Amino acid sequence: MPAEDYAPIDQDWLEKAGNLWTTPWADTPSERVIVDPIILSHAASMFRKSPGYFYKNPEEAVRMVCHTCELYDVTPVGHYLYADYWGEDYGGELKFQESAPPGMQKRPITTPEDVDNFEVLSPEELAKGPSCTRHFRALDTCKEEYPQMFAPITQLAGTMELATNWAAIEDVFMWMITDPDLVDRLCSKAVDHMVNASKVTADRYGANVMITGSVVASGDLMDREQIKRFSYNPVSKAVRKVLNEDAGPGIYYHLCGNHSDDFDLWKDAPMSPFTIVQIGYDGKEIFPTSKLVENFGDRCTCFGTVDTKLVDRGTPAQVYEQAKQQVLAGKDSPRGFILGTACECPTNAPPANVHAIVKAAKDHGKYEKF
Amino acid sequence: MDINMTEDVQNSLKDEGFKIEEIQELIEKAESTGTKLKHKSEGTFIAKEDFENLTRYAVYTTSDGELTLCSVYAHKMNINGPTGGNIHDVEYDDKSEWICQKCNEAALERNVDLSYMGVTRPGPALVCPDCGEIYVSEGVAKTLKTAEGILEEKRA
Repeated sequence: MPAEDYAPIDQDWLEKAGNLWTTPWADTPSERVIVDPIILSHAASMFRKSPGYFYKNPEEAVRMVCHTCELYDVTPVGHYLYADYWGEDYGGELKFQESAPPGMQKRPITTPEDVDNFEVLSPEELAKGPSCTRHFRALDTCKEEYPQMFAPITQLAGTMELATNWAAIEDVFMWMITDPDLVDRLCSKAVDHMVNASKVTADRYGANVMITGSVVASGDLMDREQIKRFSYNPVSKAVRKVLNEDAGPGIYYHLCGNHSDDFDLWKDAPMSPFTIVQIGYDGKEIFPTSKLVENFGDRCTCFGTVDTKLVDRGTPAQVYEQAKQQVLAGKDSPRGFILGTACECPTNAPPANVHAIVKAAKDHGKYEKF
Repeated sequence: MDINMTEDVQNSLKDEGFKIEEIQELIEKAESTGTKLKHKSEGTFIAKEDFENLTRYAVYTTSDGELTLCSVYAHKMNINGPTGGNIHDVEYDDKSEWICQKCNEAALERNVDLSYMGVTRPGPALVCPDCGEIYVSEGVAKTLKTAEGILEEKRA
């Protein structure tokens, strides 16, 4: 659908949502906590389009996201991203799928020798590559058509996520056991890539929000020492370099999955004045906001979460109740709080469930600190 | 004290609004008190001066009694102290490339609390574990400049 086929965004809503969105970052008083259900291909379902259509059409994707944000009254930010960035740029093959985000089919690294021969692309080379080209189609559209909803995001995840976009996950996990120094070298190249990719966005838009963290490297697949060695340490190094090379200032630590045994490491991860930490799960349970605020509240902005499985398959009442508990525990966190989902809003989540999160924030997320 | 500098550095003094006499005084104070960082291999020093709404830094080298100014930078964000309240042990190699000249200790790479326009948030800095002096690197100062601009816009 071209831009002119969308109804105009309500400017009063945009201004109000913008004020709510500013509060967690700049401590400007506002009424209540804002919600970020991380809307990506879920927006496509609102327009009766498929995830495949969403990801193949970045300009339209960001339009759908912006209008869905208005529909739900959530964070006014146009998102476009998927997990498997940066593999194509190095010769891998990305497959667009009808019912799911694009996924790596063929990876550039298949042997240990490939790891040592792997050369990280420069910012100039990355800027011309397929990941940036596609990503910037979305960002440029947002900047042009929805400037107040624009955020210069770079999708990176962590070093293990990059490593498993470049080499098969089973290879990387085998090398972690048989040749861990090889995985160190692979993660070191991931660090250099993260810095270079961040520079591309910062050069293009004057600032960058680095989406990083630890997704594959979670407690369900790796133990604390492995997460520390192959994720926390190299990710921290990458973030430090990004901040030292003026390619920030936004840092979003997305700790997806279970981080029961390593969440405390991230308290000392390098932070900027615009840093947010989101932790998905504590074992099998949703990460309690009380624990998030206790550990991170005096450091950075906190992102409290509602279980995406519940959003996908639960009842609105169940979603509302969990959202209520999470927002009550976090709303007055001293350095700002946002309520959202543990990960991307599921494509076919019942809209009533997404609405239930927003309703809980409206009913129970009124600030007392202002 | 005579200070050598390139034309680029002279221009950046003007851009930052610094007077050469102010920089001379900053460096002289650092030299006399030893309150400065020294790069462990390059022989470069970082000296700083705190004002109420500005912290200024000078990066310089000394050789055979001659002083060369390499760069100057500043940030408006006020440094409050280590994030979390104290310098505690961390599970990564936090030793930076800089040594606190006064204490002869490696400066640690840590988060510190920074305040601006009533907002306090963290930022990466170099901290002496002994005397507690905190310095922001030139690269991070540029990031803070962007952050300050965003806060100015959002708090307006």
